[in-house]
Amino acid sequence: MTGTESGAFGVPRFAHGSRVPGWDRAADLEKDPEEVPDPATTPVPAELRAEIEEYMSRYPRVRSASIPALRAAQRHHGWCSPEAIEQVACVMRMTPAALTEVATFYDMTETEPRPPHHDVFVCTNISCSLRGAAEVYDAVCAAAEGEADIHARSFECLGACDIAPMASVDGVYVGPLEPADAATIVDDLRAGRPVLEDKQLARRPVADEEARA
Amino acid sequence: MPRPEQRFVTLTIDGREVEAPENSMLVDGAKYGDVEIPVFCYEPKLGPPVGACRMCLVEVEGIPKLQTACSTPVKDGMVVHTQTERVKSAQESVVEFLLINHPLDCPVCDKGGECPLQDVSYGWGGGKSRFIEPKRHFRKPLELSPLVAIDRERCILCYRCVRYSQEVAEDHQLVLQERGNHSYVSTFDGHPYVAPFSGNIVELCPVGALTSRVYRFRARPWDVEDAGSVCTLCPAQCNITFTVRDDRALRVLSRDNPDVDDGWLCDKGRFGYQAIHADERVVSPMVREGGSLRPVSWERALSEAASALARARGRVGALAGDGATNEEGWLVSRLLREALESGDLDSRLAGGPSRETARTLAAPGLAATVPDVEFAHSVLVLDCEPVDDMPILDLRIRKGVRRQGVRLAVATSRPSSLDRNAEVSVRYAPGAGEAFVAALDAALAGEADDSLATAAGADPQGIRDLAQMLRAQDVVVVWGERLTGGPRGDQAGRALLNVAARLGLSGDGSGLLEVPASANGRGLCEAGFLPDAGPGWSEVVAAGEGSAGPRDAAGIARALADGELSALYLLRTDPLRTHPDRPTWQAGLERANAVIAHASVLTEGLREHATVVFPAESYAEKEGTVTHPDGRVQRLRPAIGRPGDVRAEWQVIGDLAKRLGLDLDFPLASDVSAALFEAVPFYSGLSLVELAAHGVRWPEREAASALDAPVPEPGQLETPPNAPSPNGALRLGTFRPIWSAPEVEVSPALRFLTPRARVELSPQDAQRLGVAQGATVEVAHDETVVTAEVALRSDVPPGSAFLPEAEGGAALTHGEPRLVEVRPA
Amino acid sequence: MKLLFDRIDQPNLNRLDTYRERGGYESLRRALAMSPDEVVAEIDASGLRGRGGAGFQMGKKASFIPKGDMDKYLVCNADESEPGTFKDRELMQKNPHQLIEGMGIAAHATGCNRAFVYIRGEYDYVADILEASLREAQEAGLLEHVILVVHRGAGAYICGEETALLDSLEGKRGNPRLKPPFPANQGLYQGPTLINNVETLSTVPHIIRMGGSEYAKLGTETSTGTKIVSVSGHVQRPGNYEIELGMSSRDIIFGLAGGPPEGRRVKLWFPGGSSSPVLTEEHLDLAYDFDSMAQAGSMLGSGSIIVVDDTTPVLDVAKWVAKFYTHESCGKCTPCREGTAWTLAMVERMDRGEATPMDLEIMSGVQEQIIGHCLCVLGDSMAMPIASMVKHFREELEEHIETARARREGLPVGDAPVPPEQVAV
Repeated sequence: MTGTESGAFGVPRFAHGSRVPGWDRAADLEKDPEEVPDPATTPVPAELRAEIEEYMSRYPRVRSASIPALRAAQRHHGWCSPEAIEQVACVMRMTPAALTEVATFYDMTETEPRPPHHDVFVCTNISCSLRGAAEVYDAVCAAAEGEADIHARSFECLGACDIAPMASVDGVYVGPLEPADAATIVDDLRAGRPVLEDKQLARRPVADEEARA
Repeated sequence: MPRPEQRFVTLTIDGREVEAPENSMLVDGAKYGDVEIPVFCYEPKLGPPVGACRMCLVEVEGIPKLQTACSTPVKDGMVVHTQTERVKSAQESVVEFLLINHPLDCPVCDKGGECPLQDVSYGWGGGKSRFIEPKRHFRKPLELSPLVAIDRERCILCYRCVRYSQEVAEDHQLVLQERGNHSYVSTFDGHPYVAPFSGNIVELCPVGALTSRVYRFRARPWDVEDAGSVCTLCPAQCNITFTVRDDRALRVLSRDNPDVDDGWLCDKGRFGYQAIHADERVVSPMVREGGSLRPVSWERALSEAASALARARGRVGALAGDGATNEEGWLVSRLLREALESGDLDSRLAGGPSRETARTLAAPGLAATVPDVEFAHSVLVLDCEPVDDMPILDLRIRKGVRRQGVRLAVATSRPSSLDRNAEVSVRYAPGAGEAFVAALDAALAGEADDSLATAAGADPQGIRDLAQMLRAQDVVVVWGERLTGGPRGDQAGRALLNVAARLGLSGDGSGLLEVPASANGRGLCEAGFLPDAGPGWSEVVAAGEGSAGPRDAAGIARALADGELSALYLLRTDPLRTHPDRPTWQAGLERANAVIAHASVLTEGLREHATVVFPAESYAEKEGTVTHPDGRVQRLRPAIGRPGDVRAEWQVIGDLAKRLGLDLDFPLASDVSAALFEAVPFYSGLSLVELAAHGVRWPEREAASALDAPVPEPGQLETPPNAPSPNGALRLGTFRPIWSAPEVEVSPALRFLTPRARVELSPQDAQRLGVAQGATVEVAHDETVVTAEVALRSDVPPGSAFLPEAEGGAALTHGEPRLVEVRPA
Repeated sequence: MKLLFDRIDQPNLNRLDTYRERGGYESLRRALAMSPDEVVAEIDASGLRGRGGAGFQMGKKASFIPKGDMDKYLVCNADESEPGTFKDRELMQKNPHQLIEGMGIAAHATGCNRAFVYIRGEYDYVADILEASLREAQEAGLLEHVILVVHRGAGAYICGEETALLDSLEGKRGNPRLKPPFPANQGLYQGPTLINNVETLSTVPHIIRMGGSEYAKLGTETSTGTKIVSVSGHVQRPGNYEIELGMSSRDIIFGLAGGPPEGRRVKLWFPGGSSSPVLTEEHLDLAYDFDSMAQAGSMLGSGSIIVVDDTTPVLDVAKWVAKFYTHESCGKCTPCREGTAWTLAMVERMDRGEATPMDLEIMSGVQEQIIGHCLCVLGDSMAMPIASMVKHFREELEEHIETARARREGLPVGDAPVPPEQVAV
């Protein structure tokens, strides 16, 4: 069977959905086993090294810095590429595999090739779906179609059900959204403006009226 | 460190009263009442339980939720039910869940018939499935490495293999990727999982997800027989089981002996059995005719060998090495001393300390055991690299550090793979072991003089830190034969005895553990294969006419080259492969009139220089005993018949002796063993029956008192020579990688691991010399030049370079520290 | 009565001087003058139950932390990811010093010398605010007894489970650990560890200010104090409300949040986030507190009410729930890993019209096989609401399945299924 063939119930047989390149490929026997990268043979950009070392200094045990370090490498490289992971491993004196298992576990660490980009996470969890998240998500995908540097994806609950349906645009929470907002999001990103300024969560007062000062 | 004392508690399981060891987990405790609780993820060798598979859910009275028996310690008065409806339904649920995505391709699965998932499904499953959704699919089988195939569809995500990689081998190469239902076992970016101990995951896997690529589709469990023996590919002497089909060894599995191997094997031991049936195997006697070796009859080979040896009477040297048993070593030593009037024999690579020093170092009063390494307060790894020299000991040291909190120190020239686990790591100049130990002795004595540290090329503060750390109750020193090799071996040995005395090593939880250079190094010494000691370290009168007294290995090489010796007897060794100072050996072999060898593979030295070759048994065919570095005498049992014209070595040696007028005739192999046990005073009274399956440590037997060699009070040491100062050149250190062995070269599966000539340099030196990673360079000493590839290592101390022994190193060393020049080729 | 939300929108409340002007850090000063045991006793007297989901008494938990000089850790669980929950976000964004002060007090009470706020990675902008406020507090010398670090996650619901959070904080995959050992004995780096939710720790300064027994007078006897309730879904005014525990659920959903849009009815509601078994219209008059919710067969959880009105099919809700927990299952234990994915596949198949009502039996059977058999509560978090939906809405689900099947097979929608006795064998 090939990757595109379908099995029972029309479900693609290899619709595994893995985000790691090579999940269906054998190990490349030409490669050497990957141990802790030696600083002598693994160049690391100085500012990335400094940032990772700063994270390492925050914790009693350096391994705790692996998530912040991977996220730093992702900011630097656009995604957690093998090269990025090797660099983190070299600074942290860990094996790249031990970092790969972390990078593939979490939703925000990208292990698929991606240039530096804008993230648009559209929440499609229950509270947002009850208020029309599916339509918003479709609209955002349509608006971002062909924009290589805008990465739209559906996301699990982002913790802002008070503005459902909502999205996180480069970490800025906006909502409640309507499908028509999708185009504005893309336009604002294109123009380098703050996204949907009047719908940003940060500006919203608390719902509990008695709590307002 | 005191080992936990075992007490028993009483609990009730399924209405039966059961006595089980306190603190054992219910799964294990239940076995004392003949109750089996099914498990997948539970494997105590991998560390604390994780409770992931949920297969072992049982009911414990007083706790509302079902409990995992793998993580619930037994308690006095506990009442446990494993057969109630609730437990049954939970267990059936877990089996159903595990099988929904399992392909159930048992008919074509290698694990079929010996599969825990099959067994548990049969024993505890509901026998039905309500799952009609599409299963989770992965492409299969895939290569995980040249040795292991992975079938991710069969994987039940029990975590055993990844826990092994992280918690036991500590190579951190094999990990889970992704999350939840999408999780799968993998490596970083498609790199193969290649590591010294990677094959253990095959044995750990409770399903057919990880299979040996070598064994795949070779046999079904009902086609094969098991045959227990001992692996003699290295000094670790792990206990193994051969899987035999049609008189061929098809697989090697661990035969868990907690006193030896803890149930693990290295990949050389696990896959090296292929050498037994390799095309390169010598299966008939050979004699050199017209410049090349030709197969001949036994009669011809024996008579050629006998007449050549007779001609060289009094001028014969002998070496013994890897895989030679105690019995063979003892017989050859008698052949040399009694029939050939020669005392020039050595089973060590570069000589060693005097008889007096050596027997004191080996005495029961200083002998540490393998489990001592795990339970000591601190362990010092001195002048050896366990993962290369005695691989399975590496895992034991890691286990002690990880699980028992052992404090580890490493003192070596070459950066060690254990450095990351060590509290103190000290580097000294290659070959400066004696000066280093003397410096440590001085530091332990509280002397403030740093001159010895300087002589060793070591950091004085590092040595003081080390001395400070070793002032613990139980210290085990794991030291390599390399330390006491060479012309100053005796001084190094005495320095070590000083250290032993100052640390108060007692052989009772603390002591020394020597890592010999050859697989049965200890046994061959004890059998008397030494220039200055007979069986049981007895004194020997120099035989023969040589004026210089009995020669050690280095002396034999020189004497051959000088023409003072004219014949060489090689019992399973090839000096061109294993011994230092290759140029002298080369000259000696060229000049020798006769080179008689027992060998199963023709290595370079034999191919070029042997005049008679006797085909040797492999370890799967052999009968006899070997002695583990901690004094455990272990028994080899034949698993398969001998191929071709191969005969038992003890018989061949006996036949040869008869032709030379010595009666070494024994009716059975067991008779040779019995005779050996009587010849070595501290083996006295041993029998093969007593050795049973797991061997016996002679230092723990009554006869051990026959070796009475108390540790002397610390004495004044000679001032060791200074390590040479590099002055722009580099100090050359050598090492023997785990994969440097003929068995690796001739095993098709392992061949890819054959080491290359790579010279390890510090980045500073490489920059100074203008060479980059991967560049080809010449490593030169005087006229000798070796071509090698540059491997940069940040932890190599500047001023030193390291080269594998058989891959160039031996050509440049002769047992003393040497400086080399490294230049772009 | 507003404690946590008292004037929460005051401008610049995240600045130290604004916070101090209204009496901030007074409780910390007072606590530091007390002995640790006295502080624990005060918290214990307040009856404060954890606001993260499990509802365990904070005073008890704090008293489990062993005495001694070893390294001890305080961890604030700010990995707020339970669908429908967004209270911690607002608390940290608008009044970060309240949390920092609470952590300062808790660290003193338990002798923890190191503290971490594990904040979910998606809350980056909140983490920025929290870090800035933390710097202010540290520079003002307010936190000299503890090293406090803000640690950002990277997106995994399971890290809200306390032991998974610890593994994640140690730089590993966020897999839950076996308990025992409990974090109080062997937690972060195997050391004693106190883990509490943002809201719980933010309440601590108020307890010290008011006195534990005074605080205990708020709410009900076993559910003391005030609670931030996140209301979302089909209500007119979704958002966070601070209530006294014990208020009627109807008053929260209809009174505060405005109820469903005009002309619609409450079909079902989750009282404590998407992992709580659903309740129906008939439960609306129950008091909103830990015990009443438990008695009704559900739980207060994180205090997040999701309202679903009569325009939404139950199967859709089941699908969102199953999809979420399947995506978030860490994969460590069998029933959760396999059971969530199996459930999702079944729900999707029902929706596609490839199922029969018999599949509901299998589905509830699978939920029973999950409940109580997993390593942590994530499996139960899916199985319990799904099982409750089957229990309360079986008829609707059967109809949904039949309708979808009829549509798929081209039968007239609404046809009665063939009675079993008429099926040809």
